[in-house]
Amino acid sequence: MDRRTVIKGIGAAGALAATGRLSAPAIAQGAKVLKFVPQANLANFDPVWGTQYVVRNASQLVWETLYGLNNKLEPQRQMAAGEEVSSDGLTWTFKLRDGLKFHDGEPVRANDVVASIGRWSNRDAMGLMLKAIQKELVAVDDKTFKWVLAKPYPKMLYALGKVGTPCCFIMPERIAKTDPFKQIEEYIGSGPMKFARADWKPGALAAFEKSNDYVPRSEPANWWSGGRVVNFDRIEWVIMPDPATASAALQSGEIDWWETPLTDLVPVLKRNRNIKVEIADPLGNIGSFRLNHLHPPFNNVKVRRAVQMALSQEDYMRAVVGSDTALWSTLGSVFTPGTATFSDAGGEVLTGPRSVDGAKKLLAEAGYSGQPVTCLVAQDQAPLKAMGEVTADLLKKIGMTVDFVATDWGTVGQRRASKNPPGQGGWGMFHTWHAGADAANPAGHIACRAGGEKGPAWFGWPDDPNVEKGVAEWFDAKSPEEEKAAMTAVNKASMESVTWLPTGFYKSFQAWRSNLQGISDGPLPWFWGPKKV
Amino acid sequence: MLGYIVRRVLATIPVMAIVALFVFSLLYIAPGDPAVVIAGDQASLEDIERIRQGLGLDRPFVVRFAEWSLQVARGDLGKSMFTGLPVTELIAQRLEPTLSLMVVTLLLAIVVAVPIGVVAAWRAGGWLDRGFMAFAVAGFSVPVFVVGYLLAYVFALELDWLPVQGYTPISRGLWPWLENLILPAIALGFVYIALIARITRATMLEVLSQDYIRTARAKGLGENAILFLHALKNAAVPIVTVIGIGVALLIGGAVVTESVFAIPGLGRLTIDAIVRRDYPVIQGIVLMFSFIYVLVNLVVDLIYTVLDPRIRY
Repeated sequence: MDRRTVIKGIGAAGALAATGRLSAPAIAQGAKVLKFVPQANLANFDPVWGTQYVVRNASQLVWETLYGLNNKLEPQRQMAAGEEVSSDGLTWTFKLRDGLKFHDGEPVRANDVVASIGRWSNRDAMGLMLKAIQKELVAVDDKTFKWVLAKPYPKMLYALGKVGTPCCFIMPERIAKTDPFKQIEEYIGSGPMKFARADWKPGALAAFEKSNDYVPRSEPANWWSGGRVVNFDRIEWVIMPDPATASAALQSGEIDWWETPLTDLVPVLKRNRNIKVEIADPLGNIGSFRLNHLHPPFNNVKVRRAVQMALSQEDYMRAVVGSDTALWSTLGSVFTPGTATFSDAGGEVLTGPRSVDGAKKLLAEAGYSGQPVTCLVAQDQAPLKAMGEVTADLLKKIGMTVDFVATDWGTVGQRRASKNPPGQGGWGMFHTWHAGADAANPAGHIACRAGGEKGPAWFGWPDDPNVEKGVAEWFDAKSPEEEKAAMTAVNKASMESVTWLPTGFYKSFQAWRSNLQGISDGPLPWFWGPKKV
Repeated sequence: MLGYIVRRVLATIPVMAIVALFVFSLLYIAPGDPAVVIAGDQASLEDIERIRQGLGLDRPFVVRFAEWSLQVARGDLGKSMFTGLPVTELIAQRLEPTLSLMVVTLLLAIVVAVPIGVVAAWRAGGWLDRGFMAFAVAGFSVPVFVVGYLLAYVFALELDWLPVQGYTPISRGLWPWLENLILPAIALGFVYIALIARITRATMLEVLSQDYIRTARAKGLGENAILFLHALKNAAVPIVTVIGIGVALLIGGAVVTESVFAIPGLGRLTIDAIVRRDYPVIQGIVLMFSFIYVLVNLVVDLIYTVLDPRIRY
């Protein structure tokens, strides 16, 4: 008997004396509970209205998609039993699989799917593309729906099964009819877990309870595809904003799984034999140096190239991730490395020898005369703060004037949307990062677009028809070879006109108690597979 | 007395109105946009605008303030822009952990600090006094989160005596409730103990030099009776004042302590709301804390009449 047990015993006696009863258990005795610390607070629970990753990660427990990506980023059937596409590529007919049931006991019908697609397609980039060419989307019968398009859309299944937010989750028709710009108020899905609404304390706890009606697919689970067999009666998401607290809680066994351990704390966790630490997501993240193409000095391609010429990704990655080179690499691409269609053509301008002198010379040629660069640096996001400090140093080294705006992410989020000149509430550059799963191809990678002010383009509004031509070719591509060729064109053009600057590719860890087995890597935590032994 | 209490309670209404206007104005001019946070990275400017309209953020300041004020007057603090849950529900969810932490800290601080201050004054200039005052200086100097991490490391991780984090409602038993509060209360109470101990010592030193204390000693009264019955009672008014003022210190400290020990209280709710620019939640919490602070001051004023019969309202 350890000291804590003794103290508890004494305390229990006191409690009995004081309250006259034993403490009530929170959950049924013997229930299998998983305590998980997610990357962020689950502040809302509508995967279409709120597009944060943490909302998607929780939503995958409650709702399902028609298709799901496997670890090769190939869409596999999930709620769909099959699909047929007409020879002209214009008419898609989908069948739903048997046994699909919502948590309120109602079967999943084609009408639910049609309404869900309708809501999603108002908010998602690929959904909007589909909506723009949609002639008809109707339920044929309870298990069949038909989608008629004005032009072929080869990426249909990818759009319906992608992990990039917002995902096309299927909800009951009455809920899916909610305005996509308003939040849903009922959380009824057909996934393996039910949302325990009564236990939800935003900022503290979100809980999910097993749905006994759920019938998983028979195929083995593979990322977002296959059989979603959850081995827990209840999954509790315990929100811990302080990494040191989460680290201590994992070490003491108060939690089972921590999604995003701070790199600085990983050595401590690795020394603990009761804890396993491994790479969370092989697709990692891409650091981003976003330039404003609308105003001086970055509206001049020579100035952009000067920064590109001197930028050392190694400096950025050491500042963000540290000295463990297993966690990061340089990257001459706007796309995620390691995928079948990856291309870093033209990327040597970022990964080759660096030249501060060359950058100074190019700045002089560009006629740069000391206009300040307004750098928006979010101090409340550790990777962005680190990148911002490296950037300030880089720009000063090459002779640029830096207006360093130290602020928080909320303010950066608002100010980066401004198209005003930097001195009138606008900006010159800011940092962010892109999830590797989103940046694997142009599908969900709005940051790689270069449609200028009128779009499609992300903040900074780069304008390069060659990039857009490559993106259009990717959407029309019918084979991986064609996709790779299109991505090569996009990358070459992006590097040439310096649409934005990748600051490196980096991965992060996840950590869990060693009695938890079956955890696999992926762009989001998969709850099918893990079990306690 | 009853009339005084009623007048003081009524006086909170204009105070709350000024606080409400101040907070609303401050949030209005502060940078940041909840619609941007909600919309996410992939959203277009049109999407953000539609969300802003949906939240009513496109309307003029006066309209928004008037609408919110009417809501508050009806006892409705509105809904969180992010969770969609009523602010009153969010506050109710978080009230118990924060109040528990504050009450336990307050009791701990008074039980520890007052005797320390009394003994330090009694033995002024001696090693006991110096030792206590050195402790008080440390209490002022070491930040709450450092004390919190040290306590968690020693008593939770190394000794495994207490849990690292979390909160258990008192409805599940006294010990499970207290178990989660011991370390946070010590961490949060450290600076509070230092404050009360120092003020107790200073006040007691003044009282102990009074003629009636000398008289008490001359007539042979025991030291304990002199210190705790005669001296402490007369020194109590400034001590109670500092305890009241210190509630604001506790509220601020609770924000940090709740983060360090992952206690789902109002402090964390406040931080989350500020980071996301969840205006209704921020406004609701500030109003509530203002109300609590005004009430605490009222209670302190009433305690004066108990401690010093000369004080009448």
